[in-house]
Amino acid sequence: MQVARSEFYVVTLPNGMHLVAEHIHGVRSAAVHFLVPAGATTDPVGRDGACGILEGMLFRGAGSRDARQLSDALDALGLQRSGGPELEHIALGGALLADDLGLALTLYADILRRPHLADGQFPPERDLALMRLRRLDDNPMEKLFVELRRAYFPGPYGRSVYGAEESLAALTAAEVRADYGRRFHPEGTILGVAGRFEWETLSETVHRLFGDWQGQAPPPPSPEVEGRLRYRHIPHESAQEHIGVAYPAVPITAPDYYPGRMAVEVLSGGMSARLFTEVREKRGLCYAVRAVYQTVRGAGLVMAYAGSTPDRCHGTVEVLLRELERLQEGVTEEEVYRARTGLLSALIMQSEASRPRAQFIARDQYLLGQVRTIEEIREAVTAVTPDDIVDYLRRHPVGGFTIVTLGPRELEIA
Amino acid sequence: MTFQKADLQNGLTVIGELNPDARSMAAGYFVRTGSRDETPEINGASHFLEHMMFKGTERRTPEDVNREFDDMGAQYNAFTSEENTVYYGAVLPEHQEHVIDLLTDMMRPALRESDFDLERNVILEEIAMYQDRPRFSVFDYARQAFYPGHPLGFSVLGTAESIGKLQREQMYAYWSRRYASSNLFLALTGNYDWERAVRQVKHLTGHWRPVEASRDLCAPAGAATVRVIQNEKFQQAHLAFVFPGVAAQSEERFAAEVVAEAIGAADGSRFYWKLIEPGRAETARLYHSEEDGAGQFFVYAACSPASAQEIADAVREVLAEAMDKGLTADEIERARRKIAAGMVLEGETPFGRLLHVGFDWQYRRALKPLSEVVDRILAVTPAEVEALLARRPFAAGALVALGPITELR
Repeated sequence: MQVARSEFYVVTLPNGMHLVAEHIHGVRSAAVHFLVPAGATTDPVGRDGACGILEGMLFRGAGSRDARQLSDALDALGLQRSGGPELEHIALGGALLADDLGLALTLYADILRRPHLADGQFPPERDLALMRLRRLDDNPMEKLFVELRRAYFPGPYGRSVYGAEESLAALTAAEVRADYGRRFHPEGTILGVAGRFEWETLSETVHRLFGDWQGQAPPPPSPEVEGRLRYRHIPHESAQEHIGVAYPAVPITAPDYYPGRMAVEVLSGGMSARLFTEVREKRGLCYAVRAVYQTVRGAGLVMAYAGSTPDRCHGTVEVLLRELERLQEGVTEEEVYRARTGLLSALIMQSEASRPRAQFIARDQYLLGQVRTIEEIREAVTAVTPDDIVDYLRRHPVGGFTIVTLGPRELEIA
Repeated sequence: MTFQKADLQNGLTVIGELNPDARSMAAGYFVRTGSRDETPEINGASHFLEHMMFKGTERRTPEDVNREFDDMGAQYNAFTSEENTVYYGAVLPEHQEHVIDLLTDMMRPALRESDFDLERNVILEEIAMYQDRPRFSVFDYARQAFYPGHPLGFSVLGTAESIGKLQREQMYAYWSRRYASSNLFLALTGNYDWERAVRQVKHLTGHWRPVEASRDLCAPAGAATVRVIQNEKFQQAHLAFVFPGVAAQSEERFAAEVVAEAIGAADGSRFYWKLIEPGRAETARLYHSEEDGAGQFFVYAACSPASAQEIADAVREVLAEAMDKGLTADEIERARRKIAAGMVLEGETPFGRLLHVGFDWQYRRALKPLSEVVDRILAVTPAEVEALLARRPFAAGALVALGPITELR
């Protein structure tokens, strides 16, 4: 197996901020990805969606630059921005030609450490947040995933980055500033860098820009699932019934994470995987059907989705649930082979590009406290046998579903 | 980076951009066909056919096709647009022979009746899915309004009615006309063995025959019109404008990209400062789509229903100001940098290069390294931008508004 030649670097600054970096040979670009532990799960009580407004406010002036100067400075570097509010973090960063990496980090130091958060910039940012929230109603598939997570996690992990009308309306500019002061600190913040760079220079730059930053964010909540819902229907005047099913899986730190992950690949890895084959290819019940393994700190879950017009939706749910449950009856050697090949091949192809690698290593640092090398993942994935998957499913049977439907027809869930 | 090209006796062309340092390779068949090549009776056939191409061949069952792609760990799929249908797979180099065999075999599909009937349901579900997503469906309505009654305004998916009526024989006839060896080509990128690939393709396609597959390139001027599609199910107003753009064959396309970026990029553009930053609209973007013989500029804006008129007027105002006063040198410089950096990033993987290499050949019969295209973008001059804007492309176009609104000017 040929993987991109790469070298990893990890350093924790005295103030607790982590820098993880992967040098990739042969690319001209570099990508940066900051994870600040200020996502929806730690939004102030009664202020759901504060993370989205805070994220937007960070770009409305920072350091010596007003909003326009800051935006122009980022654009002058050709930076392709990415990130945004997430469940556990505010993610910030982007990718650019490697020569300008230091300049980009200088701008991000201002954005993270010296945002203006001015009164006058607050009303438009809140208007945008309200519009984003309403936009969700015009995208029922995305709304379904938001509602499915809300039904699955009764606590803070069920919150949405979009918030709610009342909580957004109640928020003030002063609260945003206080919230920034509470949640933006080096301890717990992770910076992932991937692509072309000189390690000495990068390390020195990060120490210079962030070394004297101080403070610690409040402890994060844990992902409680006690009291999760069994079934919820949300009436929606849509052409399709949008169906979501969630059930527990182990966290990425568990010793049997890889068998659990491979089980979901057998379900929904490629187009020959079970869900696509049984629900769509053999029966023509839907266009979109899939299952994804989601990891948060301390928990894992599987989220399955299908969308079908009302006439077909009962059949879709029936086949979907049957396939999920049938998994524990066993998987074939061929299915495991395909799951393995799919995972490894995607990993190798991803190893050629800066941006996905910066995101991957930052996320690993957060979830695992270390970065997995591609070789390490390859060994773990290769070692999984069909029996391992069956054993995993015996310990963690597929079931106890949380089901949410959004659309014109409520289902009869036995 | 080395370019290669082979013209086979059967009319098929194979092109390649070799990068021996890459860890993977990508292969794709580019077919010069799409909804603009359909008639109203078979609207949606190109896209439906694309689905059927995964349903097996004389040598393969439908299950075989998906399973073989997955056996290779391929990143694979296909898409259909108004004028292109593309089938692609990216794999590790050791799977070169297999992925080429599979993709090539797929171009001669079985089109079995039973698969056809079943897949029709999947297409109807796809049509229903986009009905629930106004930010996509509004573009269909907008193209229709801009090119009324003309194939350039046809929906790629077709309608529930046209798909419901389509017969397998009609699809077979369409396939015979459009998938001839002279109307498609194979492109390779990344780390592959050229000699072996050409030998294999020659062997596999020996029986393919060229057929004259024409395309009507006469594009109507485009209608200046406003259409409101009232739909109380939606929460927001979704606005789409269509204006005449630049053809894929025109050198002006680089200036068009710069204009779209400077006026309508997600961040730091004129739309951003005028509409997003003040919190007036949720989204406001300007895109340029270069197409065969004629291109379009598209505006998409989403806002609260009560401010639909205000936003439509503000969009027009920004566009008029750009036509009247041009763009500043700084704006042009930033736009060039952003486009260039984006192209470099995308070009880092064979998969990311495939579409660029393929479309360069499809539209321009050109094999251009990424560095040359990046240099060309960086060399777009204020004079080029001025010349494009001086033609006043945004003076007349179609506007469609979808959402809970009743009227709009």
